[in-house]
Amino acid sequence: MKHLRRIFLRFYLLFANSKVEADLAREIGTHLALLEDEYLRRGMTPEEARRAARLAYGGVEQAKQLHRDERAFQELGQILQDTRYTLRQLCRSPGFALTAILMLALGIGGTTAIFSIVEGVLLRPLPFPDPDRLVVLGDVLEGSHCVSCAQSSVTAPDIRNYMRDTQTFSHLGGYRQRLFELSGTGSPAAVNATRMSGEVFAALGVPPLLGRTFTQQEDEEQQQVAVLSYGMWRSRFHGDPNVLGSKILLYRKPYTVIGVMPRDFEFPLNPGHVNQSELWLPLSLQPEEFMAGSAASWNSRMVGRLKPGITAEQAQSDAERVARETMRDSPAYMRSFRIHAVVTPLQEDTVAQARPLVRTLFFAVIVVLLIACANLAGLLLVRAIRRRREIAMRLALGARAATLLRQAIVESMILSIAGGAIGLALAAVALRLGVSLLPQTLPRINEIGLDWPVMLFALGLALLTGLLCGLAPAFAAIRTSVNEALKEGGRTVTSGGGHARLRSALVVAEIAVALTLLTASGLLLRSFEKMRDVKLGFRPDNTLAALYVLPQQQYRTQSAIDEFTKTLLNDLGQLPGVEAVGVTSFLPAAGNSWGISFTIEGYVPPKGAGLNMAAMSLLEGNPFEALGIRVLRGRIFTQSDNAGSQLVAVVNRKMAERYWPGQDPIGKRLRRGLPETSTPWMTVVGEVDDVKLGSPDAETIPQVYQPVTQTVASEGVFASVGELSATNGWIVLRSRMAPEQMEDTLRATVRKIDPQLPLYQLQTMEQAISKSEAPRRFNTVLISSLAIAAVLLSVLGIYGVIAFSVALREQEMAVRMALGCQRFGVILLILSSGASLAAVGCGLGLLGAVAASRLLRSFLFDVSPFDPSVLTLSAVAMLLLALAASALPARRASSMDPMRALRGE
Amino acid sequence: MPSKESIQLLQGTLDLIVLRTLATMGPQHAYQIATRLQQISDRLLNLNQGTLYPALVRLEQYGWIKGTWGRTESNREAKYYAITRAGQKALGEETQAWRRMSALVERLLLEEPQP
Repeated sequence: MKHLRRIFLRFYLLFANSKVEADLAREIGTHLALLEDEYLRRGMTPEEARRAARLAYGGVEQAKQLHRDERAFQELGQILQDTRYTLRQLCRSPGFALTAILMLALGIGGTTAIFSIVEGVLLRPLPFPDPDRLVVLGDVLEGSHCVSCAQSSVTAPDIRNYMRDTQTFSHLGGYRQRLFELSGTGSPAAVNATRMSGEVFAALGVPPLLGRTFTQQEDEEQQQVAVLSYGMWRSRFHGDPNVLGSKILLYRKPYTVIGVMPRDFEFPLNPGHVNQSELWLPLSLQPEEFMAGSAASWNSRMVGRLKPGITAEQAQSDAERVARETMRDSPAYMRSFRIHAVVTPLQEDTVAQARPLVRTLFFAVIVVLLIACANLAGLLLVRAIRRRREIAMRLALGARAATLLRQAIVESMILSIAGGAIGLALAAVALRLGVSLLPQTLPRINEIGLDWPVMLFALGLALLTGLLCGLAPAFAAIRTSVNEALKEGGRTVTSGGGHARLRSALVVAEIAVALTLLTASGLLLRSFEKMRDVKLGFRPDNTLAALYVLPQQQYRTQSAIDEFTKTLLNDLGQLPGVEAVGVTSFLPAAGNSWGISFTIEGYVPPKGAGLNMAAMSLLEGNPFEALGIRVLRGRIFTQSDNAGSQLVAVVNRKMAERYWPGQDPIGKRLRRGLPETSTPWMTVVGEVDDVKLGSPDAETIPQVYQPVTQTVASEGVFASVGELSATNGWIVLRSRMAPEQMEDTLRATVRKIDPQLPLYQLQTMEQAISKSEAPRRFNTVLISSLAIAAVLLSVLGIYGVIAFSVALREQEMAVRMALGCQRFGVILLILSSGASLAAVGCGLGLLGAVAASRLLRSFLFDVSPFDPSVLTLSAVAMLLLALAASALPARRASSMDPMRALRGE
Repeated sequence: MPSKESIQLLQGTLDLIVLRTLATMGPQHAYQIATRLQQISDRLLNLNQGTLYPALVRLEQYGWIKGTWGRTESNREAKYYAITRAGQKALGEETQAWRRMSALVERLLLEEPQP
């Protein structure tokens, strides 16, 4: 207790110093006077008495110092004093202080903002209890070469088999995310919902906020219950606590709300913000999902919690055993599928795809910070050199080296902490504005923000930069030779060779890393340009697209569905200004396609080629014309290609070139599935241009088009009993006017046919393309802005160094000019010193660019990481900027009056 | 004046002496305390009066004594220190501790050296 009180007081008295000092002086004064009185009484003369009093008291200054040491933390007091001193110094040179602080704010702010992304996306444990026990279980399909299979998936029979037969999971369940039409509360809308086994909730282990979650038993009993997300509960039900037990309609079937999940519950952990699940329903697998085509659709995923003591490897071999049994028992037409079970930690599964991007960003921003640090160190060094005489004087008067060192560190710390504080504010603003711009490829976006770890990171970063930046100039300061510096008297001091080398090294390093970043940004810009040049294979102008899904409850029969589609196409086609209208199962650029396997007549695959996969689009109406897809050979579908007629298909150029190279594909035959599957042949009647189904920089895949009316017939044994086709599709509409003007007409037309049917993702094709380009645009913009910041900072650095060395060499220049050196010669001299620094820096920077190429390669499109034009252009740009930065001081030096400079000593 | 017999003050004993002085004599200013110290030590204690000050500020910060400005008989302003209740308690404890310590040292010194 007494110690606490004392510690507090010792802190407090650091700040209330002047009053205590005055009191102490008064007290000592009285003491001395009383002693004097005493000696006077003993008969001494006033003079003797004063002397005796002093002697008896001892040293007044020593007593005061003892008192100070006792009453307050003096070490702290000194730092406080240094701080005041530094603040005064900085106020006297506001330009320097402002430059330094803003530079650091930029560096620290940028790094903090990016770090908060790293922290939120990569580092923070998943928001479930014991997250490292959660794993994803899935199949790898041999030979599928599927691009989107980075995340493993399973089929409906797999879910049943793995859940039933594995022994290494304490909970294991399947889930599948899809769009649902929600009605019965507010206006009909499309919601993202996840169908999942009751076991999934058990595996995740997050208790609901309200009510309860469903169990495995309810799932198997096909109970129609739903658990709401927090967001859905707030927005649709206004946070009503009595929501439990109320009914909602999903595809017009009633479901009872039994629970609400907490605000931060998110599952599946999908990339981006738009695809987050808004409600959870029992998976309740239907009998038809185990049959025919559905059984061979890898459209679900599985998540589980490992039993205590079980490793992921043990679980994998356990699951592999089940996978082998599944293959043995699978129907004949699936025999040649070879599957392997893989078990991946959920964390890894979630972040794997985002890691390269986030890592690259972090490296880039660290580079900017390093440049800012180098600049600050350079500035501080220049200050230290300017203050050489002052420092030498203080050393001569007995200042200790430790004191000078402490002052130098305090100075850079003050700068860096101020920079850090402003940087943190900048980061907060950037994150507020920036999170919505983050690419949809990043998972867990909602968890990005300035929290404690991020704040601590920023603070640590500020302290570290302060220390690092302060050390070099601090040591330069205490190495000052007192004798030399003072002897030089009033003459302008030419800085020691060591300092000059240090500053040059800093600048060379800055230029090198800035160039590395500049080349990276150049390569990304070039990739972006290449992507914009990619032939999309369709004409996006004046085209509108929207998705609809017909609820099964209302459209039970094929004739009802066909009636809807026919009316829709007919009504839309008759609207004024409409040129062509169609329905397609995959929208180009939307990236929602998937592949199925085909058997091609007479095609012998090369050994180990795997499955013949192609994206299958089902069409109705005239989507080829509506999307502006060019017909290369043969014909497109007509009204007479229907359920009863001969099965036909249209292929794209890639498909034709792969399977019938050098031949006319018209008249060739192919069918769905594997060779042992009995499916009917389809005849190719046309060939069309390659269409980019995903983003323009993605690979073009073989495509097959088929009239939707022939789907069931072409599926053969894959088709399940009573299977309906054309239950959903993208409406594509080409008009003579701006597509935005058609939006309302399109909505009204659909509403006239089915007033309850919502349209999803209504957009122009240009918007769709822009969305598909967004991730690359984001990478490019961010890396480029970091590169610009880096280049600006390093140009500032080179300017600072050249300007300072010119200022120091003013007399040398004056002497040269007095001796007859031309002004042009002076300019050349200075430019060449700048250019030589830049040249060395560029050389190193190009090496850096080569070293960084491995990191960058995955982000490039159609551009080599050693693209000579980009490398040359960046290096030349950097050199020119460096020359420009040294031109200013060169001009100033050449325009001085030599006589004045020489006299002005 | 320091003489041959003068002794050095043991660490921590000054606090005890000051507390004890204030407890027996009532509120005193620094000069009075110093005079008192010299009186009772019979000039054996070699002490600059200024060295009293750190002890005073330390005791004040512990909350054991409290200083207030007042006037001396000769009408000079001076800071009078008084012992507080916490100080009384601390004095008791410190006295106990000192007694134990000195008894221990005494016993040790009384022991006959081994032949």
